[in-house]
Amino acid sequence: MHEAFFFGPSDQQLFANYHPAVRGDGRVLTVICPPLFSEYMRAHSVLRELAVSLSEGGQHVLRLDYRGTGDSFCDLSEVGVSDWVEDIQLAVREGRELSGSSVVRLLGVRAGALLACKSAGALIDVQRLVLWDPVPDGASYLQYLRDAQATLLEQHFYLSRDERREAKQEYAGHRISDRMVGELGALDASAYSSVPKSKLHVIRTSSENEFPVQGVPQELVQTAYNWESDLENKIMSQQLSEQLIACLTLS
Amino acid sequence: MPDTVLTEEPLQFGEGGRLSGILTQPGMSSGNVRERPVFIFLNAGFLHRVGPSRLYVRLARELALMGFSSLRVDLAGKGDSLRRPNLTNRQSVAADFEEIKGVLDSHLGGVPFVLAGVCSGADNAIRLTLNERRVVGLVLLDPVCFPNDGFGVRARATFVRWTSPARYIAGFKNRFRALTTKDGWTRNDPLDQRDFPTQEQLRAALKSIREREGRVLSMFTHYAFRGYYNQAGQLGRVIGVEGYHQFCTELFWPQASHTYSLELHRRRIIEEVKTWAANYIHS
Repeated sequence: MHEAFFFGPSDQQLFANYHPAVRGDGRVLTVICPPLFSEYMRAHSVLRELAVSLSEGGQHVLRLDYRGTGDSFCDLSEVGVSDWVEDIQLAVREGRELSGSSVVRLLGVRAGALLACKSAGALIDVQRLVLWDPVPDGASYLQYLRDAQATLLEQHFYLSRDERREAKQEYAGHRISDRMVGELGALDASAYSSVPKSKLHVIRTSSENEFPVQGVPQELVQTAYNWESDLENKIMSQQLSEQLIACLTLS
Repeated sequence: MPDTVLTEEPLQFGEGGRLSGILTQPGMSSGNVRERPVFIFLNAGFLHRVGPSRLYVRLARELALMGFSSLRVDLAGKGDSLRRPNLTNRQSVAADFEEIKGVLDSHLGGVPFVLAGVCSGADNAIRLTLNERRVVGLVLLDPVCFPNDGFGVRARATFVRWTSPARYIAGFKNRFRALTTKDGWTRNDPLDQRDFPTQEQLRAALKSIREREGRVLSMFTHYAFRGYYNQAGQLGRVIGVEGYHQFCTELFWPQASHTYSLELHRRRIIEEVKTWAANYIHS
């Protein structure tokens, strides 16, 4: 069972799902920082199932929608990276108040990994960050979004010239603000290196994208999906879920 | 969520709170909203209640600004709602709808409904309309349609398909990608997974909307163009319901994708739905 709720500033409310610990002492709170855009839609189900498994295993879990994403308020074109970093900090505070947990762990997925690490600097109580397929940095993620847009345009055979010109302003089918573009571009790998290596654990599903910080424990899990193509396919992998649970429940 | 112009309330309802949804209501200044039909957004394929790229969230909030309430709901087994074991998909959706009616009655009273959905959401909306007199409106985004005789539907679609250079370029790229990525992919082709209503069910649903003096908005995209729709107005011609044009608005956007994956198309469909609601959906 979970509880869905809104929280945060009254004009920019955030949406979250809280899964209380089903058993155990509930000492640990895990906050899930999801990926963005179509990756979030594809991963929603697996992240929900992960939250249920963790709560059944004795952890409190909070799943967050950043401002301008999911059920949270705001338009995507109005928000920036700094808002999303603040959202994670708000979610941790809210989750701690709800759960009474003293130990916080973050799961960051794709761009959510970069945001989680960026926000961790202001969160002294974060014990561990598990990063699932972290994007290398903001600039390469922006390029990935541009490439995704180019692929989308290839698939739209019948766009008029005006529509095609307009669509070229989008990133993976989304309008994002100049502020967002600037902040994402400036988000380099120092977001990762600023977190003590002992707190980081990386799980990758591809051997292609090297994690930019050396000396961080990493697992490579072979899965049958790929973030970068077939943008409308649901992500599911039992092996990956088991690995994530193992990392997040390790004492 | 308190707001001067709209409110949103997460709901967990039904047996054991198995269903999840978000009720959006206009603010107090919007007049007597309890008398207006409430929009119910039904899941598009495997996507959770926010819809493709948040289309349902944005529609719900825009409609609230016009005075319409809405519920975007996760049907059993989708998004945050629990599965109903031992039921077929149709049985499960029918059971969900009874619980949806119950929660809306408790919050808004016995209001009429407008059912809205993309893809399988449209399929479910059509079937649910058959047995529920309170459904007075349908927003069908890529619903089922059927080729009509004598128009050469397949021939024309095939001609367009095989003469588009863009298609060949995209095809080569996709093939290359498939060869260079790991195997074991699960490709979710919605056409393979949908449980289409029959032509008779579709006709009966539209007739029942006409009898209830309701309205229908249908929209076909490039997706429908692939297999069963290639001419503006085809649905009306195939279904042959008397007075079709008096209560149905049919749009054809072959330039748009099935999930409105470009923001420019999402903005446009939101405006179309708002205009349609403003013109035709009243107390």
